[in-house]
Amino acid sequence: MARATVEEHPQKSGAALLVAVTLGIVFLLFVAFLNTVKPAPGAPPAPFFTESNLLYVALILYAGATALYIGFGVTGLDRYVKAASFLTMFGFVANTVAAGHRWYAAGHPPFASVYEMLLSFVWTVAALTLIAERKFKVKVIGTVTMPLAVVGVVLMQLLPNEVRPLVPALQSTWLHIHVTLAMLAYAACALSFALAMMFLIQDNMKTETFQAATSAMVSAVYVAIIATRFSAWGGLNLIAWDYENKEEVFLQRGVRLFVTVPDLGWLFVIVALAVLAPLGFYIWGRVKHDESKYIVASRGVFVSIALQVLALGFFVLRARSGFYHSADAEGTFQTSLAASPFILSGIVSGIFASLLYLMMVWRRSDLERLLPTADALDRITYKTIGIAFPLLTLMIAAGAYWANRTWGSYWSWDPKETWAAITWLVYAAYLHMRVTRGMRGRWAAYFAIGGFAVVMFTFFGVTYLLPGLHAYA
Amino acid sequence: MAAQNPLNKILKTLSSIKTGVVLLILVVIASAVGTFILQRPTTEGDQIERTYSPAVLHWLDKLGFTDVFHAWWFVLLLGLVATSIVLVSVDRFPRAWKVLTRPYKVPDSHFRAVLPLQEKLQVSNADEALEIVSRAFEKSHLNPERVGSGDDTSLYAERNRYSVLAVYIIHASLLLIFLGGIVDALVGYKGFLMLNKGQTVSEFALSDKRIKKLPFALRFDNGGRENYADGSPKKWWSDLTVLEDGKEVLKKEIVVNDPLVYKGVRFYQSSFGTSSEIDSLTLIVSPKSDPKATKEITLHGSVPTAIDDDATVEIAKFIPDFVIQDGQIYSRSNDPVNPAVALKVISKKNGASGTWIFPGDPQAPKIGDTPYEFTHKSGTLAPFTGLSVSHEPGQWSVWGGVLLMGVGLAMAFYCVHRRYWAAVVTDPKLGQVLWIGTQADKNREHYGEEFREIADHIRAELQLRSAANLGKNKPQEKSLAHA
Repeated sequence: MARATVEEHPQKSGAALLVAVTLGIVFLLFVAFLNTVKPAPGAPPAPFFTESNLLYVALILYAGATALYIGFGVTGLDRYVKAASFLTMFGFVANTVAAGHRWYAAGHPPFASVYEMLLSFVWTVAALTLIAERKFKVKVIGTVTMPLAVVGVVLMQLLPNEVRPLVPALQSTWLHIHVTLAMLAYAACALSFALAMMFLIQDNMKTETFQAATSAMVSAVYVAIIATRFSAWGGLNLIAWDYENKEEVFLQRGVRLFVTVPDLGWLFVIVALAVLAPLGFYIWGRVKHDESKYIVASRGVFVSIALQVLALGFFVLRARSGFYHSADAEGTFQTSLAASPFILSGIVSGIFASLLYLMMVWRRSDLERLLPTADALDRITYKTIGIAFPLLTLMIAAGAYWANRTWGSYWSWDPKETWAAITWLVYAAYLHMRVTRGMRGRWAAYFAIGGFAVVMFTFFGVTYLLPGLHAYA
Repeated sequence: MAAQNPLNKILKTLSSIKTGVVLLILVVIASAVGTFILQRPTTEGDQIERTYSPAVLHWLDKLGFTDVFHAWWFVLLLGLVATSIVLVSVDRFPRAWKVLTRPYKVPDSHFRAVLPLQEKLQVSNADEALEIVSRAFEKSHLNPERVGSGDDTSLYAERNRYSVLAVYIIHASLLLIFLGGIVDALVGYKGFLMLNKGQTVSEFALSDKRIKKLPFALRFDNGGRENYADGSPKKWWSDLTVLEDGKEVLKKEIVVNDPLVYKGVRFYQSSFGTSSEIDSLTLIVSPKSDPKATKEITLHGSVPTAIDDDATVEIAKFIPDFVIQDGQIYSRSNDPVNPAVALKVISKKNGASGTWIFPGDPQAPKIGDTPYEFTHKSGTLAPFTGLSVSHEPGQWSVWGGVLLMGVGLAMAFYCVHRRYWAAVVTDPKLGQVLWIGTQADKNREHYGEEFREIADHIRAELQLRSAANLGKNKPQEKSLAHA
């Protein structure tokens, strides 16, 4: 419905958004450099091209690209996509210099901590996006990958980023080989995920199915947050943060101290209900074969976006300041965004996913016009996995070899190892289904999307949820 | 008939790709379970008991969920995967072998009818047409082969025929890796070894608490730690010596990431620290008769060291953390926070005497009396080293499998088996035609495009040739060169 009304409007020139984004970027850059150009009185002038400044530039440019992609979603103007691609390229340059600087400053390739791995991961994602745009002509791939890059850079701003010398176990060429391969493989998996999403668009998957998937994903984020962090009396438990040492507060080894932010839990419950409602309406419509429910569900997504933004705002405000009580210790403690990077990125990802859905609602025909055919996307997805799979194999092999030199065992069923093997098996199953049973199209795309979900769990989930030897990353 | 036999039925089920994929999914689920439930081999102390209630734990243990990766059903699952790989390969290998050893070179009419990528071009002279195709193939770096003779001559060219073996190579490599794992599970072992400086051992405790005897002895000569400026560790090292029948056969400094390997047993630097034993002590000595004549001596362990021509001194006792009560010295703990050292002086003239020094506590009362005055200058504690020991003979099979898998994957993804056929045949509608066709086992779009280019080139050549034939003038070589 929304689509029909928008299409009746004459095409606008779209200069307003381009100007707005440019001004926004210039303003943000100005503000950023003002801090360093005008140092506090008495302090030595801060260097201009610091790594965090460069990363900030990359963040702004990636965010600008994302804004333009969304602008394209609203208006359907091709020039936005072109401009977004340019911003991606400049962001990539800044990202490259930041990674190079890091390498130079640390004296080892940037793979030793979660921060450094994210730096490399975002870099690889941006590189592959540019390759996909130019070589494979998948012009709007950035619509999916740029928000991913933005979330990555935001996370990086929160994680501890000082250069730490390598502990003995990490001083190995094999480690660098292992992590380089991992980053390349994971980025290739991310690309195959984005391509599979594009395929689903071209394959005429119903818009309401996208709505259901989006709602399900966002619901999962909020249900997970509430299930793990909701405390009695409507508070939300967050990890306490030690501002002096820039680290989480531990009660004892391995046991973190949680503080309860009052009332925030209720807000999250409301948001969870708001994101679950569209899903509920979709299912209701599906069961009753009543298409009118889909329209209600689609409107529900609009409402949920507003509430998600509200949740993000309150979360940021309350986590950044204030002292809170804890159930486990006397006194009050502070928390920080840095203590909850995954809740934050979960919320931000939810908002991006919902906005992408809006783009689907409004600009589907333009997306379809700009994308290669479904067949071509299906093939490119397969080719990308054909690159990712050997990389995954070599990554696991290099990791096993390194483990053998360091711990005396090439395989110890450590959770990270196990999940790397699971990722490998999922993609192996994909290849078998594809090559021998001719799996094409929808199922292949679902497999590629599911495979990437497993990759994300291996990358982040295992590190933060499951204990193991991979304590470094 | 064969389907009635239950054994055949099982074999047939196991050799289907569908079963293989189902088994893969089951392995995935089981492995995931093994990372969510705490596993006994990787958790310390009573963490499992604290996490799960006794009733739950009882069932988890019984079903093998607390040690998934060594549970009988997980091993069975892996066994089924291996069997499935073998059966699938056995089932399909003959076809690949046929392609490899007896390539299909002459396209028959049925094949010509169904091949998706093909082209028919009208020709008048069969020999000439094949000649043109042959040149065109050569130009595309294909090496065409003439099959048959006379009117039945056809052309055949192919690239990367061996890539049909890729799948079998990958499957064989997986079996090699499995084999390595099985060998290590059966005859391999892992354990831990703690050595003080100078200590020699020839046995150690395995991870299941059994004692393993080594066919040689290992001595820890010295070790140390280097730090970064901020105090975090940069390097741990241990000097190890392998002894056989009391003779030194191998010496090596090991660091993290660089183990000592002897007779298939590997010793890895795992942990490091200082013991509560004294290693060396540097003292300033002066005879009480002549306080100006100071001298610096360093004592190692309990080895007597000469002070002068007359007397020697040695460390008689070391107490890492002392306390004095009623004029007696007692040991309080093993932490070297407040050490006391008993020195024994043996003089030829004056006989034996002893004294205590307290390096960390200058105010402590004097105990004992010797003809010399001792002042502590510096001292070091003896290091100890923690070594992981493992014997994994199967790893060579694993690494072999990994290399083979690399080769197999490269072949499977990046080597394309392409075949090209050309024959002059009679078409019911068009009369005498040149039939050319191609088949690629992957990336068909790309090679389809390439094939159309070759076909266009051949068509252009044929037209040039027939135009030249019509004019009865034959500047053939020139026109070819031009094209």
